[in-house]
Amino acid sequence: MTTAISTSPTMVQRRVWPWIVFLSYGVLLSVHLWNGFDFGSFFQSGVRIATPLLLAALGELIVEKAGLINIGIEGIVLMGAFGGFAAAYQLDSLWIGVGAGMLAGLLLAIMFAFLCVTLRNDQIVIGAALNFLAIGATGLLYQIYYASSGSTHTLEPFQEFELPWISGIPIIGPALFSQTALTYLAILITLVFVLLNLRTRIGFHLEAVGEHPRAADAAGIPVHRVRWAAVLIEGLLGGLAGASLSLASSNTFNEEMSNGRGYIALAIVIFGRWNPLGVLGASLFFGAVTALQLSLQATDIDWLRSNYPYLQMLPYLLTLMVLTFSIGKARAPSAMGKHYHRE
Amino acid sequence: MRIILRLLLLTLLWISPTLAAEGFKVGLLTPGPISDNGWNAGAYEGLMKIKETMEAKVSHVQVRSPAEHEEHFRSYGEDGFDLVFGHGFEFQDAARRVGRDFPDTFYITTSGNTVTKNVGAIVFELEEATYLLGRLAAGMSKSGKVGLVGGMEIPSVESTFIAFEAGAKSIRSDCTVLRSYIGSWEDTALAREATLAQINRGADFIFHNADAAGAGVFQAVTESKSKGVYAFGSNKNQNSEAPDSILASAVIDIPGALLKIAKEVKAGEYEAGVTRLNIQSGVITLEMNEGLKDRVSEEILEDLKAVEEKIRVGELEVPRGDF
Repeated sequence: MTTAISTSPTMVQRRVWPWIVFLSYGVLLSVHLWNGFDFGSFFQSGVRIATPLLLAALGELIVEKAGLINIGIEGIVLMGAFGGFAAAYQLDSLWIGVGAGMLAGLLLAIMFAFLCVTLRNDQIVIGAALNFLAIGATGLLYQIYYASSGSTHTLEPFQEFELPWISGIPIIGPALFSQTALTYLAILITLVFVLLNLRTRIGFHLEAVGEHPRAADAAGIPVHRVRWAAVLIEGLLGGLAGASLSLASSNTFNEEMSNGRGYIALAIVIFGRWNPLGVLGASLFFGAVTALQLSLQATDIDWLRSNYPYLQMLPYLLTLMVLTFSIGKARAPSAMGKHYHRE
Repeated sequence: MRIILRLLLLTLLWISPTLAAEGFKVGLLTPGPISDNGWNAGAYEGLMKIKETMEAKVSHVQVRSPAEHEEHFRSYGEDGFDLVFGHGFEFQDAARRVGRDFPDTFYITTSGNTVTKNVGAIVFELEEATYLLGRLAAGMSKSGKVGLVGGMEIPSVESTFIAFEAGAKSIRSDCTVLRSYIGSWEDTALAREATLAQINRGADFIFHNADAAGAGVFQAVTESKSKGVYAFGSNKNQNSEAPDSILASAVIDIPGALLKIAKEVKAGEYEAGVTRLNIQSGVITLEMNEGLKDRVSEEILEDLKAVEEKIRVGELEVPRGDF
């Protein structure tokens, strides 16, 4: 009897969720149709904003799963943005740019892995140092090669690619199915992560190394090699995030254009509870709230206009609130940030 | 490790303002990258002009935080610089504090009102040009909605927006002026989204004052070309940045202004004060994009010319921020 009662809330939740989604879609659709406010473009903007955040957060997720913490993700994103832009601009190919951006991110990741996994330096200090290195290096190269000419260098960015049929659905169509190739790629990578996270060997190894490296080692899992691999993957994903910033979200590189997105990614990993689907949800939430604050700023309501700093705060404030009040346990990998010494 | 050290060293060398040589020495601090083809690029261009025409030793540093304003002002003072420009309203406090300790160095901020014996300000009255842009926008807008996108809300930026809005309402009192701040001078991606949000609300003429992030505004406007949306450039002639979409730019001749001040300082003629530069002194201009000029009606062009003349002779005072 007691078991039946205790399982019923989840049953109710399962039955209620589709209705909530359905109803809110109905509400949005009627406002969309009657008021003329284009919710399609609004959510499209939210997903666009979320894309680089999602990619960077997935990279950070895998590193933290492996028991490391790399705040240098901000620098990795910046390197990716510059590498992606420079290669795409010089060689006139966006996809080469994407590859180059990933390699640029990889470069910084290799430094992190060598300094923190092999040499076991303090991860926070090295991460912070790498961020400064990335700001300095990209700034220097940008000034040498591009800034001196006096005019900004732009390229033709990734265009939105409308999936046939489904992009025609009101609101959902433009939001999810009329995006650039990099957004689809990001969602695909998320799904790969979900599959890996389920019962696969790679998922288990990662989990073991992040939770109890000594036990993992005893079981024959090469701890340092797994951690190296995780950091390298973060480099590639963070670089991809940067490339999407300079090649899809905008059409140029700017010094410090990452503007804290790497740090937001750190928060998104926590918000998403070290779970790929959670990270996807958290990124979309953050993107949507950012789109909301921009949309609210763009009204002619006076008190909104004069209090716009509160609107700018909104994405951070809401994230904080969700983190504080969300029930259920969220636990970081036990060995996160700790070195592993093999004795 | 060695690579990191070398890169770090290189970075240090690059930001180091120390110059040992004697002669007339001029320093410049910019709040953002000089690759913005706008506010900061103009100042750097001015510094290069000073270097070439006056054979001065020059140095430039891009500061990243307010704490660095004072630090770099001070190191310029210690190195015996004759003249240091702090490029923006936000440099005033540091100029006042550091100026006391280095009486032989002139600290000049571009915008502001802080004046001591060796601290002065140049005020670019860009509002005169943005007022004209406001008239142009409201005169041409089909939706009756125009938009403003700013980097951060500092008084000198806000003031150009106030003038723009006043200009727009002087043509069309029911004109709606949207205003967004993105909170950054570098985030092009966010600037693009902010602009698209305004376009989504129906704005069809967008003026930006967001320095390097302005590239995102131009991108958003260009991709919305089919909706008949146009942009305006700021601080420098940016018409070539998006030749199909930028109708006109509100331009400051920053290089000329900096050179003029440097010459005065070198000759010992400069007296610390607030130097106001405007349409009348030829430093502020409104530059139309010749390629798009045919989209503007004769009537509006005539009106712009007439109002500009009124401003020049002092018949019309443009509303601006109080700072």
